[in-house]
Amino acid sequence: MAKPKVAFFDFACCEGCQIEFTNYGEPAFLELIKHVDVVEFREAMSEKTKDPIDIAFIEGSFTREGDRARLEEIRKRAKIVIAYGQCATTAGINALKNHTADYRKEVYGKDAGMPHLDSQKAQPISAVIKVDYNAFGCPVNKVEVLQIVSHLLHGKEPVIPDYPVCVECKRRETICRYEEGDHCMGQTARAGCGAPCPADGIPCEACRGFVSDANQAALKKALIQKAGFSEARAEGKSRMFTANQRGDAK
Amino acid sequence: MDSTCTCGEKHGKTQSNLFLPKEAKIVRVEAPTENERHFTLKLADGSPMEFEPGQILEVGLFGFGEIPLGFASSPTRKNTFDIVIRGVGRVSKALNALKKGDSLFLRGPLGKGFDLSKLRGRDVLIIAGGIGLCPTRSLIQYILDRRSEFKRFILFYGSRDPKQQLFLEDLAEWRKSKDVEYHETVDKGDPSWKGNVGVITRLFGKTNIDPGTRAALCGPPIMFKFVIAELDKLGIPRENVFVDLERRMKCGVGKCGHCQINDKYVCTDGPVFSFAEIQGLEEAV
Amino acid sequence: MSAHFIKESDFKAFVSALIKAKPVYGPTAKRSKFVFSRLESPEQLRLDYDVTLLPPKKLFFPTSQDLVRFDGDKFEACVQPEEKILFGVHFYDVKALDMTDLLFREKNPDWNYLAHRECTTLVASSIQAVAPRAFWGSVGREVQPKGHDAFLTKIQGGFVYEPRTPKGEALLKHGAFGKASDEQVAEARKANDDIKKRCPQELKKPSASIARKVRAAFDDETLWDKLAEDCFSCGSCNTVCPTCYCFDVQDVWNVDQKSGARTRTWDACLTREFAEVSLGAGAHENFRESRGERFRHRIMRKAVYLNEKLGGPACVGCGRCSSACTSDIADPVRVIEQIVKA
Repeated sequence: MAKPKVAFFDFACCEGCQIEFTNYGEPAFLELIKHVDVVEFREAMSEKTKDPIDIAFIEGSFTREGDRARLEEIRKRAKIVIAYGQCATTAGINALKNHTADYRKEVYGKDAGMPHLDSQKAQPISAVIKVDYNAFGCPVNKVEVLQIVSHLLHGKEPVIPDYPVCVECKRRETICRYEEGDHCMGQTARAGCGAPCPADGIPCEACRGFVSDANQAALKKALIQKAGFSEARAEGKSRMFTANQRGDAK
Repeated sequence: MDSTCTCGEKHGKTQSNLFLPKEAKIVRVEAPTENERHFTLKLADGSPMEFEPGQILEVGLFGFGEIPLGFASSPTRKNTFDIVIRGVGRVSKALNALKKGDSLFLRGPLGKGFDLSKLRGRDVLIIAGGIGLCPTRSLIQYILDRRSEFKRFILFYGSRDPKQQLFLEDLAEWRKSKDVEYHETVDKGDPSWKGNVGVITRLFGKTNIDPGTRAALCGPPIMFKFVIAELDKLGIPRENVFVDLERRMKCGVGKCGHCQINDKYVCTDGPVFSFAEIQGLEEAV
Repeated sequence: MSAHFIKESDFKAFVSALIKAKPVYGPTAKRSKFVFSRLESPEQLRLDYDVTLLPPKKLFFPTSQDLVRFDGDKFEACVQPEEKILFGVHFYDVKALDMTDLLFREKNPDWNYLAHRECTTLVASSIQAVAPRAFWGSVGREVQPKGHDAFLTKIQGGFVYEPRTPKGEALLKHGAFGKASDEQVAEARKANDDIKKRCPQELKKPSASIARKVRAAFDDETLWDKLAEDCFSCGSCNTVCPTCYCFDVQDVWNVDQKSGARTRTWDACLTREFAEVSLGAGAHENFRESRGERFRHRIMRKAVYLNEKLGGPACVGCGRCSSACTSDIADPVRVIEQIVKA
């Protein structure tokens, strides 16, 4: 059997998730590329292709109407499309701009008028084309990505967790951030990362987005009552990575 | 499989590991519908599969996982046994891609099947909805193979539409047979369909049923409520009504907790229960 | 079996000798909290702990455990039990281990758990500090701790060590033990009795009457929905519970794409997908769809369903769920109070 052709594409993002793919360390990475043929990956190679592909990893959000044709072209060529990283799955942190009046001025100051900075609402890739699977996270969890690829090589739908990060914290006996007087959003955040942040004393920012039945009202209540946040901060806090998943998504 | 400990003890000397499956070979594959595969299997080591109608198997493939399934053939038919798989999830889709001669891996028989001692010498009514015909086929074949042990035998079968009907050869035979009073219906007909149209409970109007009849049913959760109401109307006591239930199941051996209905484990206390046994369980039907 | 005494000053040497003889697991500090972990030195052992983050069941039923490993067409079971000493388990966790022993053994014995359990010497110890949400003094009084090999009690000037099995007796040779006096045994008894009165929380009613009341509330959907209103479905209450033992099983491939493992991982009935099955074409059926239904199932499991089998409730009063719940709605004492009131 020919090795499946894999390609990476990027839209509005920092390309950090693609960098994760090069971070496996030699033995695992070399083993993996015995099983897949990477045909386009600008973080690590200069070749480009117009051939059909088996798995397309698309990083970044859809923010410009001008990108629509390129996305549709990728969809046409690819058997499986994976939204790769949080910008692609939910528009992640990019979607914050959907909640600001004039992001250009705020971010770019005097250069705000430059034509290439023009962009519209930040949306997930799935707003434009059919996405088969999601690799969540900012950045993606490379162990999970390896499992996703393994599953797809065998024609099996990947297993993507839909339970909160608390599960993973409790399993590894991490002391809850709330117990140490801090705040956290792990109660509503999608697990699958292995909960490294709270283990290092950093609150979970829900970088993999919300679980599908996130109790947002209870989250706000916990942030106010247990972490002492103001109502406005409790509201804004959970917007960082989940702006497009909340009740007030634009 | 024994496990030798550093303390020198062989823990589990008499018990094999609960999760180690047996290999089975696929003797025949049929495709009754687009989405379903009917497999005829044989244990790879040549030993016979001993089971009761209504019991279940965990059927799996390494790398994909396992799913619980009822036997779809009767233990009276030796040498081989049947299962039917609807391709809906990761494991079932992978299993349904298998071909004749391929291997799959089984644990079982597991759980409690139909209590035949309670059916022998009685009128028996089997009510099967949709894919619920698969596990009940085990009992149907059993009764047909030992026809003299049972009195009147009535079978109701309901499907969504004619294309969803399973075991077409069996159905053709049952329609003609004098050994079973077979009634069928489809929720929605098509131009070629000349039979009954409507939900399965309509079939109760087609024949007289004695209150001493033993009833066995298997089908989608929604079917149970309506069928039980009909059986109540006929005056069949609930301890004589046997239901074959389905739940999410992982281990199949009463440990993992997924299949619980209130305090019962479907995999070990069932999957066949008398309705009297579960009617107090709010989570059952 | 007779009781023994070891002086405080000889205790470290005893623990050192145990560590030299076999792997020893005991309560150790993790910042302000405690965890059971393998001891490298006797100084790490913190018998003054109040409660550990996870119960000791993790040593027999690991959070993630391979059941079967496969490589191409070949497959094998993979229980590799390690002979060890589990030292310093409080009586409520002893009760819980005895329950999981029974549950993994009944009907179909599961050697993936039992093998680890059988080659462990379990030394219980007296409680010296009370956890803020503990109620072990009042829950399931009818269930006595058993299944441990010895019981160690801190008294004035040292410890009383009471072996219950030959395995427990075998540890005596590692320390400078003498015979405990009747006064010392009496002091130990009193210490273990007195501490039970010091829990900050208490169940007011006996188990049987609680079980009746909770069972009777099954159909009160409004009550369960209200109790579970702030539930995150995060399963923390399940994950930290010493008597919870549900698990999920998944197969994974190694990167070589031909070998891999069938692995079980702790699961939690409070999480949304626990009782969900796929019907095909993206449709699902969830047998416990709402937060209230899932919340109710846990309370039924702890207070009602298993009582007959276990001789009492499947709750030992450790208070771990109460502390672990961010919304603070999991506390069995408060939940039961509200049900009884309703």
